[in-house]
Amino acid sequence: MEQIGLYLGCNIPLKNPDIEQSFRKIFPALDVQPVDLEGAGCCPAWGTAPSFDLNTWCAISSRNITIAEEKNVDIMTGCNSCFGVLSEAKHFLETPATRTAVNNSLAKINREYKGTSDIYHVAHVLHKKIGLTKIRENLKYKLDGLKIAVQTGCHTLWPSDVYKVKEDNPYFPTMLKELCEVTGATVCHYSRLEGCCGMGGMRSTDAEKSLKLFKEKLLSIKEETNADMIVTTCSSCFMQFDMSQPILKGRGVIDFEPIPTFYYTQLLALAMGFDPQQVACISQIDRNPIIAEIQSDTRRIKEGM
Amino acid sequence: MIIDQNKIDETIKIIKANGGHGIQKCVQCGACSAICPGVKAGFPLLCRALIKDLLNGLLEENIENSSSWGCQACNRCTEVCPQGVRPQEVVFAFRRYQANELAFSTSAVTSQMNLYETGHAVFTDPKEARRKVGLPEETPTSAFNEAAQQEIRTLMDNSPMGELGLF
Ligand code: SF4
Ligand code: SF4
Repeated sequence: MEQIGLYLGCNIPLKNPDIEQSFRKIFPALDVQPVDLEGAGCCPAWGTAPSFDLNTWCAISSRNITIAEEKNVDIMTGCNSCFGVLSEAKHFLETPATRTAVNNSLAKINREYKGTSDIYHVAHVLHKKIGLTKIRENLKYKLDGLKIAVQTGCHTLWPSDVYKVKEDNPYFPTMLKELCEVTGATVCHYSRLEGCCGMGGMRSTDAEKSLKLFKEKLLSIKEETNADMIVTTCSSCFMQFDMSQPILKGRGVIDFEPIPTFYYTQLLALAMGFDPQQVACISQIDRNPIIAEIQSDTRRIKEGM
Repeated sequence: MIIDQNKIDETIKIIKANGGHGIQKCVQCGACSAICPGVKAGFPLLCRALIKDLLNGLLEENIENSSSWGCQACNRCTEVCPQGVRPQEVVFAFRRYQANELAFSTSAVTSQMNLYETGHAVFTDPKEARRKVGLPEETPTSAFNEAAQQEIRTLMDNSPMGELGLF
């Protein structure tokens, strides 16, 4: 079975381990074995070393990457920020002066960056390595008739020149759409598809500005799609949609019920028949009704069909 | 406005030293600002406007402006810029200038301390949540790995960040 280094980051293993569990359930079933990168830390987040010093950023990122290099595996991460930070660091490390400076720092901890491991997002591994056909073959429930609005998230899209896997048009991403459609669900287009959800540095710097941006995106989804759920491949977007819809509802800014939101692999794990108590049990918004609908007997795919 | 060439030269030097190498290629077309979610949300000093100030030598004058901290590092600007400026790198270079002068909100200190102590910028005790979903209580990450934490501390101690007295 092909192995890939599972780089966890911070939010997924510490706050949303049901997302981590969804990775650990679906990938082996799809013949990709995630291997732990013991001792890996923060990517480091945009608000830390990247905001202070470029070489310190690259040193901390490359320390994480060397853990994968030692195991001869590529890296797969589920957090868009981690994906962006690690990919950009790898890009900067192509500059000889940066690589020399960073390897001098790494020497103090007996490490050396070689550049032999590539950085992939969970969505890339699913779409490009495993492929839609294999995913379809492993479904236990079909999601026909359910409507999904997708949210790809910024840091797998731009700047496209530093990423190993790119969308044909980053302003009109299609990978997540196709990954959702393979379940049988309908993915509805909406005009703010490429818009930012407002999480990240913006949320911690000025929550009201962040919510303003979020509201605009949310209303576009609600009015243009009336989706049953929102599905994202960014753990930060997941947190914004799950935490901020109830805030807007509580303030009377929106008059509809918050739309249940899933990280993509949670949805896939449910469609593959895994236990919701393990793969989709941590959220502010009540997801039980839509989970019951997804795993209802009428949707079960009969063997041999 | 009085244009002072020395100030301009000094500002450009500082921005380039902090990673904003493309700043002088900017032709002020505004494509970056038009697509920037930060500008859209109401942070005025990003993209074209920030670059304009910097090219006019206005550096210290903006040191307390929080716009750069509202940047999402989304790089929409980098993608659209017809000149190859990589505006996000200029925004972050300006942010690094601010950070090294300790011009940022105290809330940002917590994540530096978390990173230094646990190797995670965001840290909450995960044990209960992990048990609930059927995972081992301890993550395989630096959070429960003293040797890994020590490596990260060594990298931070021996960096310019180590001189700021944040951790
Ligand atoms: S898009 Fe590029 S050239 Fe145009 S204003 Fe922005 S940085 Fe300058
Ligand atoms: S990277 Fe920052 S400056 Fe560039 S478009 Fe995104 S938010 Fe705006």
